[in-house]
Amino acid sequence: MITFEGVTKRYPGGTLAVDDLNLEVPDGQTMVLVGPSGCGKTTTLRMINRLIDPSSGRILLDGQDIQQSDPPTLRRGIGYVIQQAGLFPHRTIEDNIGTVPLLIGWKKDKARDRARELMRLVGLDDSLARRYPHQLSGGQQQRVGVARALAADPPVLLMDEPFSAVDPIVRATLQDELLRLQAELHKTVVLVTHDVEEAIKVGDQVAIFRPGGRIAQVDSPERLLTAPADSYVESFLGFDRGIRRLSFLAASGLSLDDTAVISASLPAWEAAEQAQRNGEPWLLVTDADQKPRGWVTGDELRSLPREATAGDAQLSPYGHTFGVGTDSLRAALDATLLSPAGRAVGVDDQGRVVGVTSYERLGAAVEAAGPAADPDAAAGAEPAEPATEASPTGTA
Amino acid sequence: MDWSQVPTLTWESAKLGILPALFGLIISVPLGIVCVRFRWLYGPVLSVTSVLYALPSLALFIVLIPYTGLTDTTVIIPLTLFSLCVLVPNVVDGLRSVPEPVRQAATAMGFGTMRRLARVELPISVPIVIAGLRVAVVSSISLATLGQLIGVSSLGYLLIDGYQRAFLTEILVGGGLIIALALVCDLILVLVRRLLTPWRPRRRRRELPEVVADPVAALAGGTQ
Amino acid sequence: MKFFSYAWDWLTVPAQWHGSGGIPVRILEQLYYTGLALLIAALIAIPLGILIGHSGRGAVAVVNLANAWRAIPTLGLLTLLAVTLGFSPLAWLIPLVVLGIPPILVNTYEGVAGVEPELKDAARGMGMTSWQQVRKVEVPVASPLIILGLRTGAIFVVATATIAAYIGLGGLGRYIIDGLATDNYGEVAGGAFFVVLLALAVQALFVGVRRLAVPAGLRQQASQT
Repeated sequence: MITFEGVTKRYPGGTLAVDDLNLEVPDGQTMVLVGPSGCGKTTTLRMINRLIDPSSGRILLDGQDIQQSDPPTLRRGIGYVIQQAGLFPHRTIEDNIGTVPLLIGWKKDKARDRARELMRLVGLDDSLARRYPHQLSGGQQQRVGVARALAADPPVLLMDEPFSAVDPIVRATLQDELLRLQAELHKTVVLVTHDVEEAIKVGDQVAIFRPGGRIAQVDSPERLLTAPADSYVESFLGFDRGIRRLSFLAASGLSLDDTAVISASLPAWEAAEQAQRNGEPWLLVTDADQKPRGWVTGDELRSLPREATAGDAQLSPYGHTFGVGTDSLRAALDATLLSPAGRAVGVDDQGRVVGVTSYERLGAAVEAAGPAADPDAAAGAEPAEPATEASPTGTA
Repeated sequence: MDWSQVPTLTWESAKLGILPALFGLIISVPLGIVCVRFRWLYGPVLSVTSVLYALPSLALFIVLIPYTGLTDTTVIIPLTLFSLCVLVPNVVDGLRSVPEPVRQAATAMGFGTMRRLARVELPISVPIVIAGLRVAVVSSISLATLGQLIGVSSLGYLLIDGYQRAFLTEILVGGGLIIALALVCDLILVLVRRLLTPWRPRRRRRELPEVVADPVAALAGGTQ
Repeated sequence: MKFFSYAWDWLTVPAQWHGSGGIPVRILEQLYYTGLALLIAALIAIPLGILIGHSGRGAVAVVNLANAWRAIPTLGLLTLLAVTLGFSPLAWLIPLVVLGIPPILVNTYEGVAGVEPELKDAARGMGMTSWQQVRKVEVPVASPLIILGLRTGAIFVVATATIAAYIGLGGLGRYIIDGLATDNYGEVAGGAFFVVLLALAVQALFVGVRRLAVPAGLRQQASQT
């Protein structure tokens, strides 16, 4: 655990970069420091590995005052990732990654093996090991930077705007990679960013800084969106906070309609009758594996000959799907909005149809999630981070 | 034309060209490191070396005669001082050419200052330092021939002897060998650079080769 | 300081200061050779450098020249021309000019080529012709480097003129060469002493020229790098 106790940093000109900071970074979680330029978040980060020393106050790492450690030794136990990667141009990728292990005395083979291991972990192909940094793309270089930081298996990882220098698509991929890594490794990560979306996406805890080096609020992304402490935090989080909050509600909380789902092997006339009975204008046709094939109207079904099955009909594309177990309410809403029929298909992790949504059902789920004040009260819907597994719960 | 002396004379010229550059390197690396660390030192150091560089080499040889006689040393010392004028700016520029993120990353990973210099900053500076060495070696080989005027032997002997005997061929051979020697040394240094820096991107043919540092330019605001 | 005592003994002899072989005469001779050669070299190198820098054509040749000319031994050039041309003044003038051209050319080229594209763009955008662009923007902005090139060129020309005494030229080098021939170290030292003074004076002169000729804004900018 990293603890800041009354930490202040004042520069010779009189600039107060960090003002009486008290912060606790819990083990095994990602703490994101976010705020406008010049708010002291980077200074705070760099005080952890003593690249900057505080003017007053102290910083404890697992209970020990870091001032008592000699900086190089301290730093070898802390991973550090920066915006431009800072890869050594004169070393191969595998030697770059193996830098800290070599520094602390590992044998070259062992360091190289470890490098390969890490390359696989961060999703880099083995063939890149002997290449030089200038031969890699920006995104690849950033991955190497992360691998390098993790090489000596440090418990703490510091990241300073690590994804800001790459284009948005690569950035999103890298953010997902980070989440995946964290799910596997559970490091104590402190990440600095100016992008509040990034903070909400990757952070377990988010500390919003005010200009002048003070913290406005520290909370889970969830609670920040639900209950911002003041108008500064609120405006920092940006508008459409309400919709973004939906990202934290699981789609599993939706009740899905399965009466509109039929198998392709069902006789057409029977399907047509079912449609009429239930008052459904459209039916979703699935194949033998329960995978969606397309939508069909009752009229279309009736126009078919007697022996035909539903699968023989002319089908319209089934449109956007969302993962019932994995996606959020926001994703379900998005899929529904994008569907011309106003209905989105919910699938399980095998791609099999579970049911379909409608605007009414979505509305019900959102309402049931309750007003922003207390997310825990939302009956049945569990606050969950996007892209993590949650077991489907009952109806809202 | 008496060819028997040529090998010895060539060897002498080579010595008088390479040794000053080598000694210059040995002095300028620590000096350059210090100048990067203490920025205020760089200006004065450059001023001193530039002033030295402006002095005709023959004059400097002569100044040393009462102290070191008519030996190789008399030639080597001034040429070493000249090479400082090229090498110190190059060492400084080389160190400054290390991208800031790289230096920061090295510190953050736990490299102490000495280690960082040795393992990261100096290796990255190699191309720029070698560029300076090339100038130093080529200039030294050429300037060392002037030592012949005070009796320090080198390929310059062929020039002087040729002049005294009005023997054009000898002059041409002498001049040609001096230039050839300089070119060979230059090429060797280019090869050394290739060997030491496999990590450098191969420049595309169409890009201009680097213009080598002009010593006096350093005073006016940075080497090119 | 042995060197200085030798030099001092020699130059305190009053006779050194009179006559056609006297110190003042030799100094003037040296200045004459240097000035002439530098002028000719500048007249060739500066326009050429501006042309190449402005148009970009021939840049590769210039850069290679920059690296190659240091290999040419001064003594070689002098003796070569002395033997082929005999007592003609070209025997010393050509080497002085040839060795003075490269630094001037290279620095002028770099100065002009190094003018920021934005500035050139702005000039063209304002409606300046190529020639006006060169005269009003590129040359003034390049002036620090051009003067630097002249200064560096001067270093080499002064040095070469000194050595040219070997093939019979006058100037301060005469003392050195004659002194070496007659084993008169005093004379050699005296000559070297004045050569050093002259070299320093020429450098100081160019620093002064820079102060006068380079617009203040550029000077400050250059010293900030």
